[in-house]
Amino acid sequence: MLKQLFVGARREQAVIEEIKKHIVLLCSACEKFEHALREGDRNLMRLVPEMEREGDAIRRRIISLIYEGAFLPYLRPNLCRFVEVVDAVFDLLQETAQHYLNITLPEQLLGESARVAHLNHRMCEMLLYTFETTMEGRDLREKALAVRIYEKKIDDIKVGILKDARKIPIASFWEGESLSQFLSGLTNISNVIEDATDSLQIINVSMR
Amino acid sequence: MVPIMWKVSSGLFLGWSLGANDTANVFGTGVATGAVTYRTAVCLTAGFVLLGAFLEGPKCMNIVGALSRIGTLDAFVCALAAAVTMTVLTFLGLPASTSHAIVGAVTGIGILSGSADFEKLYLIVICWVLTPVGGIVAAYLLQRLLSYVLDLSVPSLTLRNLIYSAGIIISGCYAAYSLGGNNVANVTGVYVSAGMLSVQDATLLGGLSIAAGTLTYSRKVMLSVGKGIVALDPFSAMVAVLAEAVTLHVFTQLGVPVSSSQAVVGAVVGVGLVGDSRTVSASMLVRIGAGWISTPVAAGLIAVLLVKLHGAITGGMRFF
Repeated sequence: MLKQLFVGARREQAVIEEIKKHIVLLCSACEKFEHALREGDRNLMRLVPEMEREGDAIRRRIISLIYEGAFLPYLRPNLCRFVEVVDAVFDLLQETAQHYLNITLPEQLLGESARVAHLNHRMCEMLLYTFETTMEGRDLREKALAVRIYEKKIDDIKVGILKDARKIPIASFWEGESLSQFLSGLTNISNVIEDATDSLQIINVSMR
Repeated sequence: MVPIMWKVSSGLFLGWSLGANDTANVFGTGVATGAVTYRTAVCLTAGFVLLGAFLEGPKCMNIVGALSRIGTLDAFVCALAAAVTMTVLTFLGLPASTSHAIVGAVTGIGILSGSADFEKLYLIVICWVLTPVGGIVAAYLLQRLLSYVLDLSVPSLTLRNLIYSAGIIISGCYAAYSLGGNNVANVTGVYVSAGMLSVQDATLLGGLSIAAGTLTYSRKVMLSVGKGIVALDPFSAMVAVLAEAVTLHVFTQLGVPVSSSQAVVGAVVGVGLVGDSRTVSASMLVRIGAGWISTPVAAGLIAVLLVKLHGAITGGMRFF
């Protein structure tokens, strides 16, 4: 700790930069997912799992930096929890992308699914702004409210998607299972992003 | 030199107990919140206790001995009784007070010899009562003031993290300095009154013995104080220790050695009151309060018992 006082906040700054990189990568993965879904581009969708692996590497680097002495130990568990939750978004996005590659998305679900993917992308961008706001010590309420509004929109769309999905004839169990998993993953990404925003609020409050 | 060393050995033992017990009041919250490691904490405490004892220790040196007429044997017995009491309470994990122990022992001896000065005792007891109150008030005001200033001027999380880290270490060092300045009189003050040591020698020996206790046996109480009373965040930990340091420093200027345990518990209560009074663990406070009352009584009884025992063995003859 004494050493940290002399080297200043270099380690903390490195952690913050890495976390930003992690979230920017998540935004990029969500954007690719959205475009791949809209255009039916399976090659583009295959990039999402690759980005998830890249995200894993960044997560490991962040955790190492934190436990090498960045930030007060009091704050470390909360920061690690935030990074883990962001990683959970990556995991869910990757699983959803893989389910997409196993199915042919029915035309009647495409529009609403693309809307959800777009909102997921916007939520990730909002998560990045919220993180930056937390680090600058500014008020998070507006950002957190925006995330909750996006989440509510997705919940509303989910009801419609599930209603439409029930009308789709299913040829085999595995086709139905993959479609169900895809829709479940797509509509649950927003919940995990909301959890990440909540983690940021805990970090913000714990240092007041 | 060897006979003098033998006679002050009980004081050195008391100093060691004080260091073992009261280091918790200086860096306990810092270690518990993870802001500073145990090893760094004890090294800093030892250094600053020595500095405080040397620079400010003489201010409190005379009041303990003024409680009653103290001879060479009495000085040895008082310090021994206080040390035994402190060691037992430290072993039990209670943050006991050396001030209470030594005053209890000296008063016990004074009652036995009929030379106890109760006016001085009342003055000291008033200061004991005012110590936790001072801790509460100082912590409450510092918490309000510093949080206002930090909210206004340091919003960045990274910068706050750095300020809290530095603040906990700086306030800990200040508290160690105040502890040394205020409490060294508890350790060797009786020897100055008995004419066995000069003030300079007393502060040096007392400071060294406290530092030795800090370095060798302070872990248990440190964790008890840091984690048991209230769940502290880094800012509250910093404020609590700063308030304790200010309280001890004020009483040092008044020339009265007081309990750092009382000061820090008062400070922690003050910090807790700013947030929510329900965050303060009442059972822990009662347990610590019981330690405060039992300390002077136990030390006084042990001192009387030792003198009686010595009298019984030697047939009333004094070897010292």
